[in-house]
Amino acid sequence: MKRIILLCASGMSTSMLVKKMETAAAEMKYECNIEAYPTSEAKTKAVGADIILLGPQVRFSLGKIKEDCPNSLVEAVDMRTYGRMDGKAVMEFVKEKLGA
Amino acid sequence: MEGLELAAFQIISAVGTARSCYIEAIQKAKQGQFAEAKKMIDEGDEAFNEGHSAHTGLLQNEASGKEHGINLLILHAEDQLMSAEGFKIIALEFIDVYKKLLH
Repeated sequence: MKRIILLCASGMSTSMLVKKMETAAAEMKYECNIEAYPTSEAKTKAVGADIILLGPQVRFSLGKIKEDCPNSLVEAVDMRTYGRMDGKAVMEFVKEKLGA
Repeated sequence: MEGLELAAFQIISAVGTARSCYIEAIQKAKQGQFAEAKKMIDEGDEAFNEGHSAHTGLLQNEASGKEHGINLLILHAEDQLMSAEGFKIIALEFIDVYKKLLH
């Protein structure tokens, strides 16, 4: 079971993306647990995740999140994918990055 | 997803990208990489314009009598838009300061 964490400024827009990704993951039969948090909670909530995805509005903190969560893969979600709330495209990106 | 919700996410995504670019421009300037800083400002402007035009589209719709029904998400989008606008001004000032400091 892969653990996927989404981070944005307030956790508001990413929580919508979580729902879309969960639907896509179910269709792909990809076993994962997806949660959304504001970046301010990264240090406590995101540690140990297989992959941490950043919304475009917090992409600038990529370096800091990598420092805080050294054992997780940290990536930014593409602007257009995020703007369309394309859960399937994000899940495919996750699958490609995690290699499973 | 359609209509107002789609527009809201387009705005959040585009102006959010712009805000990240502006902050990354400051980070570049801090390292003395001024050409890269300028590039990030330009990249930010491109994304910002995209979000701004999505927002203008909504305003035009409303002016022509089409009701949207306001929700929190669109307010959040406008909040992000204002934040990006402010960060550009701050980024340009910071770049100037770092130029003076590092030259």
